[in-house]
Amino acid sequence: MSSHREAPEISQDPVADSTDVYAFVCPDWPDSVALIANYLPLQEPAGGPNFYEFGEDVLYEIHIDNTGDGWPNISYQFRFRTEVRDPDTFLYNTGPITSLTSANWNRRQLYSVTRVEGSHRTVYGTGFVCAPCNIGPLSTPDYDKLATDAVHALSGRRHVFAGQRAEGFYVDLGSIFDLADLRPFQELHAQYGLHVFSEPGPGVNGTNGLNVHSIALQVPISDLTQPGGGKEYDSRSVIGVWTTASRQKVRLWDDDRGENVNSGPFRQVSRLGNPLFNEVINPVGKKDLWNTLAPLDDKLFAPYVAHPQLAALLPLLYPGVFPNLAALVKSGKPRADLEAILLTGIPPHLIDGFQNYTGAVQADMLRLNTAIKPSKHPNILGVIGGDLAGFPNGRRVFDDVVTIELRAIAGAVYSLIDKKYTPDAAANAVTDGLDPSSVKAPYLDVFPYLGVPYSGFYNPSAS
Amino acid sequence: MPESDRITSEARPSRRSMLRGAAGIGAAGLAASAIGGLAAAPALAATGRPAAAADKAAGPRAQRADAAEPVVVHVRDARTGELDVFRGTTQFRLRDRDLAARLLQAGQ
Repeated sequence: MSSHREAPEISQDPVADSTDVYAFVCPDWPDSVALIANYLPLQEPAGGPNFYEFGEDVLYEIHIDNTGDGWPNISYQFRFRTEVRDPDTFLYNTGPITSLTSANWNRRQLYSVTRVEGSHRTVYGTGFVCAPCNIGPLSTPDYDKLATDAVHALSGRRHVFAGQRAEGFYVDLGSIFDLADLRPFQELHAQYGLHVFSEPGPGVNGTNGLNVHSIALQVPISDLTQPGGGKEYDSRSVIGVWTTASRQKVRLWDDDRGENVNSGPFRQVSRLGNPLFNEVINPVGKKDLWNTLAPLDDKLFAPYVAHPQLAALLPLLYPGVFPNLAALVKSGKPRADLEAILLTGIPPHLIDGFQNYTGAVQADMLRLNTAIKPSKHPNILGVIGGDLAGFPNGRRVFDDVVTIELRAIAGAVYSLIDKKYTPDAAANAVTDGLDPSSVKAPYLDVFPYLGVPYSGFYNPSAS
Repeated sequence: MPESDRITSEARPSRRSMLRGAAGIGAAGLAASAIGGLAAAPALAATGRPAAAADKAAGPRAQRADAAEPVVVHVRDARTGELDVFRGTTQFRLRDRDLAARLLQAGQ
């Protein structure tokens, strides 16, 4: 998955587990950027009686680097607290939740939003109400209204939302981690001599019908960039984005209270910038370490980008399908194409009219050139599909990041670096066979852009 | 007098200090103990980076911690007497061989 349960330690701590990060210029308000960080992966909608919620003991942050050093210039911090109206009932709600102030909503979460820039701290508010979980027709009869009401206006045309959303990331999880037997090409897989597949099959979205918890911000571009940018070629137009979750260093079980108590300074336990970086680039023995570090330390992980294991596996798993990739791997040449996409941004002059280069510091960040306007006709393959407003120029909620990264790793864009290299035909065709139609809950055209979460009553459905 | 220093929340440790810290934990990570009013537990995080200005973000729960939560002491290295003391969102590092020895003795 993008970053769901991607490392051994964080897979044991769902409330602090970041799953996806999105950053894009808002199509409905092109002077603003949407920043979305998702947590709490793989939520079955029918999650009662204790429906999913953010961690009170977790510090959630979305970071912006606008100087290219892999260290945040701006951080948005989110802290959550839970109100229990009646501890003597087992119910999440004692009747229909018809508003964010409904007395029937027994377990409600509120949160604070703080912007940190250097030593300057701006507290936008401390009592924003989260959207509740989507329970069913009796408990949350007008969920759309509740979610809309949970979009809070901050000062200066800024908005914030926190709460449950439909999972928008689509991936054929079952096939990818079954030794990459991508269903559309499964008959070409070596299959270890097991002869399971004789013909191609359609992709299956492993996250369909599941929910996540989103933290979403919509802020003016000028809140995030260095002054003086605004042109596509200007490095000041480019920002790096990532999210982190932090916990206090000590957790102690308090017998008297029957709960954990925490002490000590906060330390980072989860991080996410580019999708799939910690998932399929970093080796399992380094994933937990990576989660504790800042992007500026990613030089430590650059060898795994320059020589990705998956690039070496594809020719072995699909004999004869990736001959040019096999030769490239055998040559030992570092994958400068992947280093650009994932670690430095794409320099000017490689792609006409495009750059999202942040400098020589190798840092995994989602890089967004904020001067590139939203596409009127988006292509889910983003930049490799000719749409400069999509991944890896930031990431929109509907971008097909699995296919984009599969193709990039397969060498589809290596010719940008080495004009003599001819990508394999399969490099421009490989996919897990999914697209946004694989997601049942449609994306929204307006903030917070991710779809209405699946209702616990209707999912899974009776049929 | 025992040596002590406060690990400031905002300070970003260098890579060298991070690696040194990791080695220290490896040497004495299980040597946690308790005595008197001091509750002790093994530190969960070996080293790790501070979140950016993270500890200033201590919310209502963390603020309650300052008043009501226990002081937690982690004996990092009994031989040198190196102790980590956690309270609220702060962490002190002490070097006190006698105290470390007493803590270990109390935990036996």
